[in-house]
Amino acid sequence: MIRLPEFHEDQEYRILRETAAAFAQKELSQQAEQLDLEPTRGRVREVIAKAGDIGMLAALIPEECGGGGLDEYAFCVALEEIAVEEAGVAASLLAHNTALLPSAMGEPEALITGVSPDDYPACLAFPGDVSFSGGRVQGRVPFAFNVQECSFITLIPAGSGGTQALTVRGDTRGVETTPEAYQMGLRAARAGSVRLDGAEPSNIISGGDMAGAVERVMLLGLASIANGISRSALHKAYAYASERYQAGKMIVEHQQMRIFLAEMLAAVEQGRTLVKRACEDGGIAPAVVAWLRCTESACKSAIDGVQIHGGYGYMRDYGMERLMRDAKYCQMYPTTSQEALLRLLEASEEGWQP
Amino acid sequence: MTAKGVSERGKKVLLDFPALAALREHDRKGIDEILGIVEGCAEYKREVALPRALQLDQRMEREPDYFDWETMREACRYNIFSLAIPKVLGGLAEKYMITGMALAVEELSSACGGIGLALAAHSLGVAPVIASGAMAHWDTVLHEIVEEEKKGNPVVMAYGITEPSAGTDVEEPEFLEVGKIGMEAKKVKGGYLLNGRKCFISGGSEAKYFTVTAATDRSRPLQTWTTFLVERDMEGFSTPRVELKMGQRACHAAELLFEDVFVPDSHVLGYEGDGMANGILIIMAASRGPVGAIATGIARGAFEHFLAWTREKRNGKRPIDEDRIRMTLADMLGSIQENRGLFLNHSFGGDAVFRGAFTHPIFLSTFLIPRTIRTSKPYSAFLNSYYGKALVNALFRYFIKDEDVTDMLAKASLAKFTCADNAMALTSRALEVMGADDSPQRPWVEKAYRDAKLTQIYEGTNQLNRLVVYNTEIAQSLQVEIPGPFKKGVR
Ligand SMILES: Cc1cc2nc3c(=O)[nH]c(=O)nc-3n(C[C@H](O)[C@H](O)[C@H](O)COP(=O)(O)OP(=O)(O)OC[C@H]3O[C@@H](n4cnc5c(N)ncnc54)[C@H](O)[C@@H]3O)c2cc1C
Repeated sequence: MIRLPEFHEDQEYRILRETAAAFAQKELSQQAEQLDLEPTRGRVREVIAKAGDIGMLAALIPEECGGGGLDEYAFCVALEEIAVEEAGVAASLLAHNTALLPSAMGEPEALITGVSPDDYPACLAFPGDVSFSGGRVQGRVPFAFNVQECSFITLIPAGSGGTQALTVRGDTRGVETTPEAYQMGLRAARAGSVRLDGAEPSNIISGGDMAGAVERVMLLGLASIANGISRSALHKAYAYASERYQAGKMIVEHQQMRIFLAEMLAAVEQGRTLVKRACEDGGIAPAVVAWLRCTESACKSAIDGVQIHGGYGYMRDYGMERLMRDAKYCQMYPTTSQEALLRLLEASEEGWQP
Repeated sequence: MTAKGVSERGKKVLLDFPALAALREHDRKGIDEILGIVEGCAEYKREVALPRALQLDQRMEREPDYFDWETMREACRYNIFSLAIPKVLGGLAEKYMITGMALAVEELSSACGGIGLALAAHSLGVAPVIASGAMAHWDTVLHEIVEEEKKGNPVVMAYGITEPSAGTDVEEPEFLEVGKIGMEAKKVKGGYLLNGRKCFISGGSEAKYFTVTAATDRSRPLQTWTTFLVERDMEGFSTPRVELKMGQRACHAAELLFEDVFVPDSHVLGYEGDGMANGILIIMAASRGPVGAIATGIARGAFEHFLAWTREKRNGKRPIDEDRIRMTLADMLGSIQENRGLFLNHSFGGDAVFRGAFTHPIFLSTFLIPRTIRTSKPYSAFLNSYYGKALVNALFRYFIKDEDVTDMLAKASLAKFTCADNAMALTSRALEVMGADDSPQRPWVEKAYRDAKLTQIYEGTNQLNRLVVYNTEIAQSLQVEIPGPFKKGVR
């Protein structure tokens, strides 16, 4: 066993961590391989429904509106724990909750009349090229999680400065969803593209900086999922290395293997710190930094985790190659690292005019 | 440099590999032959591999037992199963065997890492039959491969060294000495009884012939490590399972199960006990460079698809019009060319080491003996006898020097881990830059990312390959010493 450094958190977060970990252990660990190989609607819904029991289906919606009432950091903590067992389920929950977020930011009535938090899966079709005029939505979103058989889609149209959000029922005329032909990672969050051709929104929500809020949660959520993946890689690889004998010793005694493992440990430590700091301080820049670093580290942790397992790591049975595919998808959405870096500098520069 | 009489693909090869163009000025015929091989592979890529690679990969995730024999049959048209087989036997290997192999597998793997592996692993299986100088089997097994290939029937070979409890351990003498070896070949009258398992054997579920290593005494694996030729229909032999791989799926990784498999004395390749130096080390010295070329092909395939993506329009803009993308492309090309430099450096050196033996008149003259005599019982009994083996061994040893093999091993291992790491980095970066776009190119690059990972693992993990480079080139503690009738041991 490997012990992570003490990470100081308030009592409420610690309790939530334990609850989420217990859920993931009980409901996901046995099924992780199936959720990846055959993430059918029925199978995914079944485990997601159980996530509802711990408040994860409307996590960010205030308690008085019937939600879980989690703050951003609490939500991230829960996602990290869930991702340790199955990152795809965590990503699906993230996408679902982010899709509900604008409703929570607008008038409480919007929630009640428009969407029900039990309407899983909700899809956040973002980022994309979407316009709204004359009561109709037009546009295209190349990639989003939870697209397949979604109940409704949340969109942030261009032109409102990001202060407006729309929800469109999945079965509305003018909404065309196309499932990913072959989704490499985070498969339980059944992804695809969306095309909108004159669809009529079921709800128009106005409020604060919807685009900013949605993007922030998405970035922090994926950063947390990435941290969960790094943790999973660390624990699995450490356990394997402690059992495998090669080149005259247990491979956990080979220096290069130890360095790989320590890098994973450092990734988790750094990743958690970045997420916590970003949640405490607000703003987009720390969220971007957390997403950049956590997802990059998770990719490395997963690749090295496979390497520690040697040939076995390349095979489905050991659950390591899945981490490699999942980690990469955390890094490929909702933006790309280069674009994120360019924006980071821009957001930090005074008087920058594009 | 313009080359007359060379196809478009050939011209591009000469541009990508100026060393080849320079060599062509001295040996036009020799180089044009390898250009011909690459051109064939390029056609195979276009006509056969690319149209099915993606679907095949996706299908084999769900149906891991499925195997697409059609891709193998098609490969016969381009003589891909004869790449490692000497020309005197009707194969393609002559002066530039390793270089031709490396360029061919780069081309094939640029279409599909799995198809590239399926075809390359066959040559890996063939290699011990050649390198051990087991000429008794050349006119039977290798001849069959060549003849059946002409008829469009692939006769596949596989090389089995890895065991469930020994992966890294079978790749290095020092580790084999302390390894926990599971398989055993017990000496019995007239041959050996093989018991145990080999795992992850590429092409193992399709192969008809296998070159397999085993200890004749498990308590002294290094001293008794021996290479055997095993035939699929030998009693007690089976391939009970194939693995569920992340990538390179078009090629099965199979388990080989030996339950009291009787292998006759005639099927010992080389001598009992020379399976490390004259088996694994000499094979790795030749093959790790081409494995680097597999990685390079995967990287190149990813580059080709990434480049196509950069030219697609998104909201009226093309990625390639941005500076950052142009620089990323230049980086990628740089790493591909770095790889090529390394594997070509190895293959030129390797060919120089092997060429002497395989092009020498003494060697060639043995094939003037009519085939009927060569395949006769007394002749093969002689070749399989102590004196017959000693004769071939002496000829090989005259040309193939231990220090050259050691040097090749160093260059091959260096090329292997560098190419693999570069391929992993390139494919990772390509996806990172593309993001979750809905371009039809993305699934190809994702596949390359999954395929590339394997190149860091097989043929010795990249860690093992680094150790070999240190041991051979820097510490000089690992010197290949090929045992024979006149000398024993690996150190
Ligand atoms: C798809 C596939 C196809 C293959 N095809 C073939 C084939 O055709 N024929 C064949 O014989 N084999 C084949 N192999 C086996 C392959 O060569 C082995 O997987 C490889 O040698 C590693 O062995 P292992 O998997 O047992 O890993 P291990 O040896 O158990 O290694 C586990 C980890 O420990 C590390 N390690 C070990 N020793 C040291 C050390 N001294 N210092 C630092 N780190 C160390 C390794 O680098 C690795 O990261 C294939 C494997 C795969 C996955």
